[in-house]
Amino acid sequence: MVFSPSEDVVAREIEGEIIIVPLVAGIGDMDDELFTLNETGREVWQLLDGTRTLAQVAEELTGSFQAPEGKIEVDVLGLVTELARRKMVVAR
Amino acid sequence: MSGEYVRVDPTALSMSSADYARLMAATLEKGAHFRFTAPGFSMSPFIRDGAVLTIAPAPVRIRLGEVVAFVRPQCSKLVVHRVVGISRAGYLIKGDNAPEPDACVIRASIIGRVVKVEHSGKRMHLGLGMERTVIAFLSRRGWLAPVVWAGWRVLRPLVKGWRA
Repeated sequence: MVFSPSEDVVAREIEGEIIIVPLVAGIGDMDDELFTLNETGREVWQLLDGTRTLAQVAEELTGSFQAPEGKIEVDVLGLVTELARRKMVVAR
Repeated sequence: MSGEYVRVDPTALSMSSADYARLMAATLEKGAHFRFTAPGFSMSPFIRDGAVLTIAPAPVRIRLGEVVAFVRPQCSKLVVHRVVGISRAGYLIKGDNAPEPDACVIRASIIGRVVKVEHSGKRMHLGLGMERTVIAFLSRRGWLAPVVWAGWRVLRPLVKGWRA
């Protein structure tokens, strides 16, 4: 399964962090809730381009992080599941 | 490794004015509106310090008196001020409460326009309707503050009477 950012969010990298602004009823409200991704989350987010499977995402991250591939896969799946639950990413 | 997303309090984010402008532009590019709290007194009395502004994508042709969000060319700062003049060179923009215009900017520098102003939870209508043309005219000539002040002196007793 491949995932990509939802059309209902605006995400931009600002000072090394990904800032995610949910669009609720067509409005991005800076006074409402915003989300940021930590460094690892940022790496995952940037690879969720609608073409890579989660296994491919995990494989690409193996080179960047000192962790067993199985652990990385679990972490990627956990993050993407949370992001999908929040409707920040969608399955393609 | 552990990827995490964190819900954040927007006021705790140390975003620069240019960062705001980038997020606003990205939001408007999607055809969505961008809502945020605007600090400052440069648009007083029509937009007060702490007002919540809703910015919409700007049409190709921006009209005189519209309040627009743009990036000030000299310092890359996001500013929300009024169009007080339109010429071939661009749009002359000025804060209602500012003594001088900001700059004459080209259309590409304008990110969006204000479509809603809220203060203390109430929607403020004055300044965005047809009266905007008159406000732009007075503001450009430096007459806005005296006219508003004179008007307020006349209206204040009436307002006090209504409230009493």
